[in-house]
Amino acid sequence: MTTTTDRHPVAAPTSQANPARTLRAVFANQQVILLLVLVGMIVVFSVLNPVFFSVDVFANILLDWGPVILIAIAQTFVIVSGGIDLSVGATIALSGVVAAFAMQGAVTAKMSDTGAILIGVAVAAVTGVAVGFANAFLINTAKLVPFIATLATLGAAGGLAIVLTGGAPVGGGPASAIALSVPWLGPLSTPGIVVVVITIIAGLYLHKSRFGRYTYAIGSNPFAALAAGINVKRHLTKVYVLSGLLSGLAGMFLYIRLGSGAPTSGVGNELDAIAAVVIGGASLMGGVGRMTGTVIGALILTTVTSGLIIIGVEPNWKKVVVAILIAAAVSLQAVRKSARKA
Amino acid sequence: MSESRILYEIRNASKNYGSVVALDGASLTVRAGEVIGLVGDNGAGKSTLVKVLSGAHQPDSGEIFLDGELRRWKSPHDALEAGIETLYQDSGLAPHLSVSSNVFLGREVMRPGILGKLGFLAQKTMDVQAHADLERVGIAVPASNRPVAQLSGGQRQAVAIGRAVAWARKVIILDEPTNHLGARQAGEVLEVIKAAKAKGLGVIFISHTLPHVLAVTDRVVVLRLGKIVRDAPTSEFTVDSLLGTITGLITSP
Repeated sequence: MTTTTDRHPVAAPTSQANPARTLRAVFANQQVILLLVLVGMIVVFSVLNPVFFSVDVFANILLDWGPVILIAIAQTFVIVSGGIDLSVGATIALSGVVAAFAMQGAVTAKMSDTGAILIGVAVAAVTGVAVGFANAFLINTAKLVPFIATLATLGAAGGLAIVLTGGAPVGGGPASAIALSVPWLGPLSTPGIVVVVITIIAGLYLHKSRFGRYTYAIGSNPFAALAAGINVKRHLTKVYVLSGLLSGLAGMFLYIRLGSGAPTSGVGNELDAIAAVVIGGASLMGGVGRMTGTVIGALILTTVTSGLIIIGVEPNWKKVVVAILIAAAVSLQAVRKSARKA
Repeated sequence: MSESRILYEIRNASKNYGSVVALDGASLTVRAGEVIGLVGDNGAGKSTLVKVLSGAHQPDSGEIFLDGELRRWKSPHDALEAGIETLYQDSGLAPHLSVSSNVFLGREVMRPGILGKLGFLAQKTMDVQAHADLERVGIAVPASNRPVAQLSGGQRQAVAIGRAVAWARKVIILDEPTNHLGARQAGEVLEVIKAAKAKGLGVIFISHTLPHVLAVTDRVVVLRLGKIVRDAPTSEFTVDSLLGTITGLITSP
């Protein structure tokens, strides 16, 4: 860039501070509304059954939250880029069983539990990355739209998980794996702490890094991104591979929680991931979304599940509640958008 | 003007889309500090020529020279790197990104040290610089951190042009930059073109608004059915004769 020598730093003007406007802006912020919804839910469930308000229940909610937030983070990047990844749930199943076989082998070969678990993590991650590359290939090279491409890998990965296992869970891994999901830092277990760290790093990368900036740019206007010299295909490959990687790690998280790799675990979870992202305020049209919204969206989903069980409601009501939440979140976006235009 | 060196040149460029001949042996030169107007009816091949010049499409045949050197653009990125900026009609900005993020899109300033190596952006620096760059180009500047979606059509166009002028080192291609603009804003755009010329850039100005073309260009190139039918100093044209050449009513030079 050509730079004149006498350039003075010019402060970028921001909107004037005004208490009433600030207050209105706070409540117009979807994250704030979401946080209030979450707190409201916790209060209601606690009043209906005081057992709800305990470290044990929160620990359980966070264990449910772990795999959901991992695939919801993945989905946030994908949806912000203007795509969708339907294969995250099936990738959980496939990477869980492939990792289970690897750990079974490691234990048979008299490897230490720690070593076997690390092998499991690596194998699950690699399996997820492979699914991610398959998605990227179908989208970039075979020219399928993301919905169809990832619907194909959903079927393939889910089917493969059942074929490999004959439909039964794969056990025989390191015996101490399941002990890892015992909480020791308040309601957090070791895998839970890892997930929290991953979430924070992912949030920083989405909002503060060039990787995140390109993701938003492609979702906002792919032609502008291309014209600005961004290698759109390469970036989308990275986004879908990241999605596969996080789904693979979610598969390992579930293995640790259940002590085995089940070909049915993760099935349907893609809808939880999409729900968390959409409730969190992202637009399926791309270019819009915040990691904090996704985090709270996923927390709301898992809190509803545990809360309904604890207050004695049939757990299948969860689906109805989630459906209402999705509709409310999307409607809120649309109403606010038309209010801005008016 | 015609004595200054030829900066950017395309020779005998042809491009077919299936059986449609979009460009048929078109040749064009731009000198440093020269503004050329590229005009033609819808479907005359202007957009195709712009895409070939900006690296978005590759010609089936023909050669491109920058500073006398034979070049091949494999992507818009190659042309950008070489100092050729293109302002596309309507679609050059990412509406969800802020003004400064758009100005720096694809050329982000990274944070110093390890954070920059890890991929983190120096957003404050970009906000301040984007504001200064747009101001220097001489256009009404919206706040750097506002999303482009919240700007008016004129402001968006100002940001797009400001970005192109701020980054261009050699050639700037403006595809319909005065479209959808009011008279005053269009006047500002024409001032920006004059400023770019004064900076020694080669400017290729594509427009349907013939009075604008006659007002700022040194030379006019007329495309019809993929061929260049006229390439002459602007002083040889009136609005009527230019219109006649575009539509094919006037064929002899």
